[in-house]
Amino acid sequence: MSTRASFVMGVSSLLQSRCLWSSQWRARNYSVPSALLPPDLPLLAETARISLIPKEAEEFAPKIRQVIDWFGQLQAVDLQSIEPALRADTEGDNLRNDVPETFENREAMLAAVPSFEEPYIKVPKVLNKE
Amino acid sequence: MASVLFRGIQTRPFLLYPSALLSRKNGVLFCTTKCSQSQTATQENQQTQMKVSPRTHTKKVEKILHDYEAIIGIETHVQLDTLTKAFCSCAYLYGSQPNTNVCPICMGLPGTLPVLNSKVIEFAVKVGLALNCNLSMNSKFDRKQYFYPDLPKGYQISQFDIPIATGGFIELDLPTEYGGGHRKFGITRVHMEEDAGKLLHSGNGSYSQVDLNRAGVPLLEIVSEPDIRSGLEAAEYAAEIQRLVRYLGVSNGNMQEGSLRCDVNVSVRPIGQLEYGTKVEIKNMNSFSAMNRAIDFEISRQVDLYSKGEDNQIIQETRLWEEGAQRTVTMRKKEGLADYRYFPEPDLPEVVLSEEYVDNIRASLLELPEVKRRRYERMGLSMQDVLFLTNDMNVADFFDATIERGAEVKMAANWIMSDIAAYLNNEKLSINEIKLTPQELAELISSIKGGTISGKIGKEILFELISNGGTVKALIEEKDLVQIVDPAEIEKMVDKVLIENPKQLQQYRGGKTKLQGFFAGQVMKLSKGKANPGLLNKILLEKLNAKG
Repeated sequence: MSTRASFVMGVSSLLQSRCLWSSQWRARNYSVPSALLPPDLPLLAETARISLIPKEAEEFAPKIRQVIDWFGQLQAVDLQSIEPALRADTEGDNLRNDVPETFENREAMLAAVPSFEEPYIKVPKVLNKE
Repeated sequence: MASVLFRGIQTRPFLLYPSALLSRKNGVLFCTTKCSQSQTATQENQQTQMKVSPRTHTKKVEKILHDYEAIIGIETHVQLDTLTKAFCSCAYLYGSQPNTNVCPICMGLPGTLPVLNSKVIEFAVKVGLALNCNLSMNSKFDRKQYFYPDLPKGYQISQFDIPIATGGFIELDLPTEYGGGHRKFGITRVHMEEDAGKLLHSGNGSYSQVDLNRAGVPLLEIVSEPDIRSGLEAAEYAAEIQRLVRYLGVSNGNMQEGSLRCDVNVSVRPIGQLEYGTKVEIKNMNSFSAMNRAIDFEISRQVDLYSKGEDNQIIQETRLWEEGAQRTVTMRKKEGLADYRYFPEPDLPEVVLSEEYVDNIRASLLELPEVKRRRYERMGLSMQDVLFLTNDMNVADFFDATIERGAEVKMAANWIMSDIAAYLNNEKLSINEIKLTPQELAELISSIKGGTISGKIGKEILFELISNGGTVKALIEEKDLVQIVDPAEIEKMVDKVLIENPKQLQQYRGGKTKLQGFFAGQVMKLSKGKANPGLLNKILLEKLNAKG
């Protein structure tokens, strides 16, 4: 997924996280529209690992605000008597049987790893998940 | 029949403390083939406590502990025993060469899409039902986003706000050595997710290494309500979860292999206070007994700070349990709560369960540990026996099969818990691997009960049956083991022995009554062990005291 796309995803998930606490889960309450607060852009950029210089952050903030407000128009819809949908599709399930298959071209995948030290993938030392 | 029942798996280096093993009069525990070292939490605890100083708390702390209560919650990750991973068809074989069970999907390469393994849903429903949960007939997957080298996609596919099961409970019995007691702990939720790869830190510190074999392996996360109150309860909770997933056949539940992992949250508060104290997470506990000790340590640490008025020093953080030093240490301070930017996984459809599907699974569930324990209790077995027999499903099945064939309950339990368990322990086998069948055990028991053979002969036959199989009847015939119960025959043998040992006879008549044992032994030897002991001694005593 491109970094821009993941950034947009980050914003949309931020929308969600305003309604649902991101670290605890809670049943949804759609009956009351919530005020949409602007995101903390520098923090969002940090968690999405996108480097923004202060000038860019300043530029993007109003644009992102506009995107959120544009989506925010949906808040005007009355959802009182509507059963919440879990997802925005109607297709059925897509399940696979529990039958093993070996991927044929493992060598090509491993050859494409930037830093490979047989048999491990070599990465910079990272201790903290934050 | 063995009068000393002993406990403990002799595969670990705890043989250094044989006195600990002999001093406990409990049955030996053993396990199914897949798990190499299955023990109840308390067994592990007993063994390790011998290593640690017996008093983990000073008297002062013990006194203070009475004024506080601990609030403990546990998050357990169970690796599911499916043939393939959660979202791709890679096999998962523990111990494989690194980066050999991989494909573009679990390596998170661009353009790949996850496809859910149907077995994962089946196992999740099994566990949800076994934990008495409400199942969400419609649930979904979400992306939990964060960056870490062992997470190829940069997000973990998990279930956030609509997990597959919620609001259940688990019941267990605390071991009798610790006072026993029945407990019921709430289960907040059960959800499906995928595992990350393995990250190894190199020695010199400049780089790390990643093995993606484990990436994408299906996990069930089981979150308990904060109903647990002590290290012991926590360890037993974890042991019961292990027992449950093994009974259900959804996981081998090996903590050592990493197929069962527990993270614990501990807080304390003065008794009577309504607000919860600050919650501290503890990681890096690799066994049930480590969980027990880590939690008890952490409770003491927090209570100690409270008692000194320094409870503001208890901060919300993650601490690591150090097995060597037997203490928890700060790992990192939680700066606010992590923002995982959850949103619904767009690449996966809803998970829909039908009533029929759930009913079929419910009907297929075998008798679970809690139900079995209650049934064995009603049969009249002691709680100690109950806990022993139900710990391993294969043992319980063997026991059930034996009594189904008419064997007396207590006798069957004793044979299994002593002689058979001892053999399994020594040979490191599971009860499925021995040649003794429940049918023959039942036959053995009835032969002894009916007086055909003596108990002592029974033990010898048992050994033969376990290692070589065969039938009781055949062995009795072949080795001519039928007990001698004809008084006349025994009399003849007693007479012979008395005649052949005049010196001892004189000594006996002179007052050395202990020599009765000597004569009994001689008659036994003469009868090749077949003389009925009771009858033998009766006749012997008569003869010894009769003359002169």
